[in-house]
Formats: sequence, C-alpha cells, structure tokens
Amino acid sequence: MSPDQAVVVAAVALPFVAAALTPLLFRLLGERTGYAGAVVAITSFTLLASQYTEATTSSGTVPPLPWIPSLDVVLRFYVDGWGLLFALLASGIGTLIFLYSPAYMHGESHLVRYYAALLAFMGSILGVALAADLIAIFLFWELTSLASYVLIGHYTADDSSQYAARMAMVVTVGGGLFLLVGFLLLSIVAVDVVGSASASAVGVYDLSAMLDNPDAMQSALRDRGLFLPVLGLLAIGAGTKSAQVPLHFWLPNAMAAPTPVSAFLHSATMVKVGVYFVGRMRPILVGEEWLFLFATLGLTTMTVCAILAVAATDIKELLAYSTASHLGLMIAGFGFTSIYGAETGVFHLLNHALFKAALFLVAGIVAHEAGTRRIDALGGLRHDLPVTAAITVVVALSMAGIPPFNGFYSKELLFEAAVEASHYHDIGALGWLYPAVAVFGSIFTVLYSLRFLGLFFGARPDGLGDVHEPSITMLVPPAVLAALAAVVSVDPEVAVRVIVQSGVDATATDPEAMHVGLPTSYSTPVGMSAIAIGVGFLAYPFYDRIHRGIRSVPAAAPPVSANWWYDAVVGNLTGAGSWLGSRVHNGLLRTYATWTLAATCAFALAGFAATVAVAPGELVGIDATPAIALVLAVAVVAAIAVVTADSHVAGILTLSILGFMIAIFYILASAPDLALTQLVVETLVLLIFLLVIEEIPEYYEVGLGGVARDAVLSLAVGATAFVTVLLTTDARPEGSTDVARYYAESAVPEGGGTNIVNVILVDFRGFDTLGELVVVTLAAISILTLIVMRSRGDDE
Amino acid sequence: MTTTVIMRTTARVIVPIILVVAVSLFVEGHNLPGGGFIGGVLTTTAFAIIYLAFGLDFLERGVLGRDVDPGKEPSRDRVVVAYRRVFEYGLAIAIGSGLVPLLFGRPFLTQTFVELEGVPIYHHVEIASALAFDFGVYCVVVGGLLTILSVVGAE
Repeated sequence: MSPDQAVVVAAVALPFVAAALTPLLFRLLGERTGYAGAVVAITSFTLLASQYTEATTSSGTVPPLPWIPSLDVVLRFYVDGWGLLFALLASGIGTLIFLYSPAYMHGESHLVRYYAALLAFMGSILGVALAADLIAIFLFWELTSLASYVLIGHYTADDSSQYAARMAMVVTVGGGLFLLVGFLLLSIVAVDVVGSASASAVGVYDLSAMLDNPDAMQSALRDRGLFLPVLGLLAIGAGTKSAQVPLHFWLPNAMAAPTPVSAFLHSATMVKVGVYFVGRMRPILVGEEWLFLFATLGLTTMTVCAILAVAATDIKELLAYSTASHLGLMIAGFGFTSIYGAETGVFHLLNHALFKAALFLVAGIVAHEAGTRRIDALGGLRHDLPVTAAITVVVALSMAGIPPFNGFYSKELLFEAAVEASHYHDIGALGWLYPAVAVFGSIFTVLYSLRFLGLFFGARPDGLGDVHEPSITMLVPPAVLAALAAVVSVDPEVAVRVIVQSGVDATATDPEAMHVGLPTSYSTPVGMSAIAIGVGFLAYPFYDRIHRGIRSVPAAAPPVSANWWYDAVVGNLTGAGSWLGSRVHNGLLRTYATWTLAATCAFALAGFAATVAVAPGELVGIDATPAIALVLAVAVVAAIAVVTADSHVAGILTLSILGFMIAIFYILASAPDLALTQLVVETLVLLIFLLVIEEIPEYYEVGLGGVARDAVLSLAVGATAFVTVLLTTDARPEGSTDVARYYAESAVPEGGGTNIVNVILVDFRGFDTLGELVVVTLAAISILTLIVMRSRGDDE
Repeated sequence: MTTTVIMRTTARVIVPIILVVAVSLFVEGHNLPGGGFIGGVLTTTAFAIIYLAFGLDFLERGVLGRDVDPGKEPSRDRVVVAYRRVFEYGLAIAIGSGLVPLLFGRPFLTQTFVELEGVPIYHHVEIASALAFDFGVYCVVVGGLLTILSVVGAE
C-alpha cells in the first residue's frame, strides 16, 4: 500500500497556508502565535507519522499532481524511510522551536514576519524531503534559502545581520543554481533510461523513477560522459547548502539570526538538506569518484571546522563551527561506499539533530539569562541553571562522541567505514590517511565539546550577574531532545529499528541489517575512539593555549580565512558595479539613449553575424518603381535637412517631411491602413513637438568628442536598421503564406469585415489588442505619475 | 504661446471636419481603412489643434462645458481627471465586451456579427459585435493621448 496522497500533500501545504494566515493569527493571538505554529508543526508531524507503516515497508510514489503538463513537470511526492526521517525531524524539532520562541522572542518587533518565515521555512524543508520531482525539489530548495535569508536578517537595523543574511543567500542560492544545471543534465539522461510519458525533448524529472533504476542511470550517465559533470554540480549544490569547505564560512556568520532560528535552520534542518540530498542521490552515483570526492570533502570539512570551533570566542560561534564539522562527518560517511558509510550518514543525521538542536537551545537560554555569549565571561553556571546543566551534560558528551552517548555510535561507524574504505577500493595512501584524519578531527571535537560543558563547571566569573532558570516553555524543548538523545544512548537498537534501518535501506546500494551497540572486544575503530577521547582529555588543560595558537594564524595571514575571500570577491564586485552604474546611469537622458542604442546595435549585429552568413552581393539589387524611388529620395533629402537644420522648429518640420514621405511610400506599397496611421500619428507628434519646443534650450555647445561619438552612434544605428531590413525582408517566403491566406479567406465569413487588418485586430487577435490597450493606459498613467507626482513631491 | 488670427480661423474650419472624418474612420473601420486606433488618434489631433489655437481654458469651458477654477495647475486636477476617466471607461468597455461571450459559453473575446437588410437609406447594414471592442480601443487611445498631451503641454 503506498502512502496517501492527500495526507502527504496536506502535511507539506499546511505550514505554507499557516504562513499566509500569520498576520491574522498574530492579530488574534499576539505573541502566543508561536504556540499556534507549534500546533501546525505537530499536525504536520502527526500526518507524516501516520504514513510511517506504508513508507517504511513499501516505500512508494504518491500519485502525482499535474502542475505544468506541457513541460512534463508534476508535483510528485516520494515517501520512504530516508525522506520520512528527515521530514519528521524537521516537523518534530519545528514543534519544539515554536514552543520555545514566544518566551525567547518576548518583546521583539517584526514577530509576524518571523513566524511567517519560520512556517514557510518548515514547509520548504518538508517539500525538499518528500518531493520526487527534480523541478519541485529545486523550487523547495531555493525556498529554504529565501526563508532563511529573511530569518537570518531578522534584525534589519543591524548591519552584521544584513551582511550575514546576504552572505547565506549568495552562497546557498548560488549553489542551488549549480544544482539546477545538474538536474537538467540528469533529466536528459533519464529520458533514455526510464522514458518519458510524453517522450518530449525536455526530459523527465521523475526522481523516484531514477531511484528505481540506479544502476541503469549510472551506466547511462557514464555512456554520455555526463557522470563527472553531474556529480560535480550536485556536489557543489549540496556542499554550499551544507557548508562544506571552502564555503563553510557562511554558517558561523548565520549565527546573527535569533537563537531559535539558529537551532532550527543551522543545526537541525536547512544545512542538512545538502547531506540529505547526498544520501538521496547516493544509490545512483556511488562509485570510486564518489568516494574520492565526498570522503575527502567531508573529512576536510570535519577537521577544519572542528579546529575553527576551538578558536571560537562566542558560544553560538562554537556551535556553528561544530555544526559544519559534523556535517562534514555525515558527508564523509555517505562518501564511503561500504554499508557502514550509509549507516554513518543516516544515524549521525538523527543523532546530530537531537544533540545540536538541544545545544543551540541551551545556548539561547544561557545568552538570554546571563546576557552574554562570550565564552570567557561565562562559567560555573550549574548552580544557577541546574536543569539546563543536566541537559547539557547529556548532549555535550553526545557531541563529543563519548561512550555510551549516542554520538559515539555514529562516530564509531565513521571510523569503521574509513578503515573499510581501503578494503573496497585500491586507494593507496588514502587508505590510512582517511582514518588518521578522522581521528585527528575527532580530537578537536572532544576539545570543544568539553569547553562548552565547561560553561557550567569551574569557577563563576566575577562579572556575571544574577542568572535564573528560564520559563518552562524554554526548558521543555531542550529537555525533550536530551531525553530522546538519552533513549538512543541507552538503547541505540531502538532508533535503528524505528527509523534508521529504513533510512539506510534507501541510501545504501546493498542494504543489510544494521547493528550498533557498545563494543565488547577490541577492534581498530575502538582503538581510534580511545585515541581521540584520550588525547582530547589530555589536551583540555591546554585549551587556552591551543585556542590562542589557532587564532593567531588568520590574524597573521588573512588569505587563509575563507571569509576574507568572500569579502574580497563581493567587495570588488560591488565596486565594479557602482563604477559601471555611475557611467551608465548618470541621470542624463542622452547617456541612457547612447548606451541603449549602442547595446541594441551591438547585440543585433552580433546576432546576425553569428547566425546568418551574409553575402552582400546577393542582397544589393535595386527594384523600385520611379514613384517609390522619388518618394524615398525626398525622404533622404529631408533626413539630411533634419541634421543640418539650424533651429528646433526647422528640424521638426523637416522631420515631418520624412514622416509624410514614409506615409506616401505605404500608400504606393498598397498598405492604406498603415499609411493612414502613419499620417495621423505624424501629425499628432508634430503638434506635441511644437507644444514642448519652447521648453528646450536653443542650442548648447557640444564638444568635438561628443559630435564624433554621436556621429558614430547614428551611423551604427542606421547601419543596423538597414541590415535588419535587408535580412528580414530577404527571409520572407515567396508568395503568400498559409497564415496570410487563412486571414484573407476567413475575414469576411468569420469576422464580417472586408478590412482584413481591422478584422485581425479586433476579431482574430483581440487579446493582443487588449494587451496593447493596457500598454497605452500604462503609458498615460506613467506620464501622469512621472510629471504630476514629481511636482507634488516637491510641495511636501 | 501666442496664436495668430489665421491659426484660429483655420482651426474653426478644420476641427469639425477632422472630427467627422475621425468618426467615419471609426465606423467604417471594419470594412475600409480605419478603426478604433486611427479614429482615436485623429480625434486627439482635433483636440490638440483646439488646444494650440485657443488654449487649455477654452477647451475646458467652451468645448467640454466644465467649470474652471482659475489659478489651479491645469495638469493636476482639471482636465486630466476627465481624460483619465475616458481611458478607464475605454478599458472597461473593451474588457466588458470580451466578457459577454462567456455568458453564452463562448471563449473570452469571441466576436460575431449580424446583417440587417432593408434599412432606410443604407438598405444593408452590418453590425459587428467587434464594434464595441473597437469603441473601447477608441476611448483608451483618446483618453491616453489627451492625458499625455495635456500633461506634457502643461509643462
């Protein structure tokens, strides 16, 4: 039995509907809107949980909803253990975040925007987790970036908040574009493998169909030579979202967001979207290249960010770097091709969400109650915050990977996978380098976890004021998470049975029954864990020295830091942009006209040069009756007279001669409608010109350079128009076309008019005419606004 | 702007002619060169000539029969409101005429026509539903262009 379409769609759509209704809810409930959000989140959670049996036993596609049939895009959902795990995490932790928010955000402004963005964000995450159509995934993927942009930039008056929001947006949306290209390549290949319902050229975006034939997809990609490009593009997309080195820098900056947002976006959900997607694509793309790419990327990120976390001076910064480090761990896990790799990725995703969301909420409590986030200024908080301290002990030791806490099991799996890697593939020195790096990074993980725990122990700094336990709604969410983490710690097999196993089945190529538990005898991974924990504990007394040592490196050589590169690139782009802007948009109509005309000519001529082989000899041939030749000759003379006219009035009058000659030309070419329009419009334009002529200054001095520039530009415009006319009329088919014959034949019977032009305008293509009417209306309104409102603005 | 006697006299003679031609162009549009757009532009031209020869106040008081509050900026409150109403109504007529076929279960903007025989003087008259749509076009063009003309002219 496959999952129920109505239930899945409702679960995804509900947060969006609630987001749209937030202003109304806020008016009714005020700051208690957060609890309404919690109700929405728990409803989505329950709806999804009701699909649990169907999803974990017979993972399946929900019947698709048509969306853009002509492009083969449908809203298709796919619910299996892996997607369900992620969606349940997002909605479950979302519930706790909404519960926590009202107390934390008490008295803040812009709460409507805050809750609406948070709801929309949760909906987008659910969308990414469950969508099975590449276009839909991309849409939800970028929606998460947009929502997080709003949330990170919540404090709009704060420059650093704006900077962080922009950075997150640039990095994650930019990465999403790489993902889109990867999707398009994938869809092209998918046509060969799974076929398309409409067999159209646009391809098929059905991810579930691709996941049903992973081996065929991979061999098709390799046959087309698209395997590496697709792998690289998807890796860039997932890597930017999940803050992998060297694009890890946006995540710590994103701590400018309110803490509940940090807990939700940057530890539990959004940054894991990349990891989730890597797991999702794993069956299709796994192989030796996959191993090299993701294991290296993940382990590098894990180590670099763990080291940076030790260098952090702010509790949220420490947690943010730690998040990036753990994301590296998950990516590395999925990178290893053995079954242990899949187990690491899935299990650590669950464990990390539990302990890191709790840690962020704890950091929020500490910052909220103690009034500071500086690590140096905090200590000995266990006397003031006993419950919070108890929660922190569980989750911080879990983050450190100390047995028997839950983080230990999944890290043990990573060590296992790293050791196993050399048994599956001949990877030379990497066979021992991977485990070594994993252990090295884990040492720093132990260090910073202990440091965070140290906030609650040791001596209480003198400067710390009065600290109280927070309200119950701020305490319950981290307590729930810590309790869940404790359950997994005591009996990891429960988690495996409930959801992890089905997640592994979905992400591994050769799923088998998974077992985790405390080691009973020595093995290599046990030894690696012992080294990491032992060295970590031994080094902890020297924490301050290590901390200062790491901080001195980027201070001495700024280019080491990734943030420096971002600033350099973005800063220079901004500079170049404003330089170009000042040249192109200097407020003078003349300049605008110059750039517009020059650019149009350049594009048109380049287009002709690129697509049409122009043979001038074929085109030149004079074929005109004497009457037409005479009219055109007069027009040419008038044009020359316009240029040489010594007053505006003379210029306008001669310009009218040119216009009237064109009207006569239309008459001679048997287009009376066109001629009539040209005549009337020409007259009206002449009148308008005469009206405004008094306002124009007589003649002003123009430099020689200006004259030369204008001359070159006019010649270019003339040449472009000339070439365009020659080429387009040359391309006209011989005789009358089907369309022309259709109109000529049906004008009288269908429209009842003998003037075909008019019948086309009002009968056959009335919709076009309606559009033009709107254009005329808009032009009139624009001029009204531009001129009348301008003077009104001056008055006020 | 100072205008000469020649200009005013000419305007007196040609404006009625222009208006008649404009209306005939509009009515004949379905079968002969013409139509809403050209009719509209020509009507605007007639108004523009009055404006050039006699000024905006005359156009207001003498032609449109409206009370003028002297001293107010012309573009802001007076003529522009009337002109704006013309193109607003025009757009409404065009869209409304397109909506009528929906009542008969036909697609948006479907047009039809009837032929009447034995009418006095004309003997044969053809009435196309497109004429209503074309009248919308006419109104939009007149209203839009006159707005532009008066706003730009007032500058």
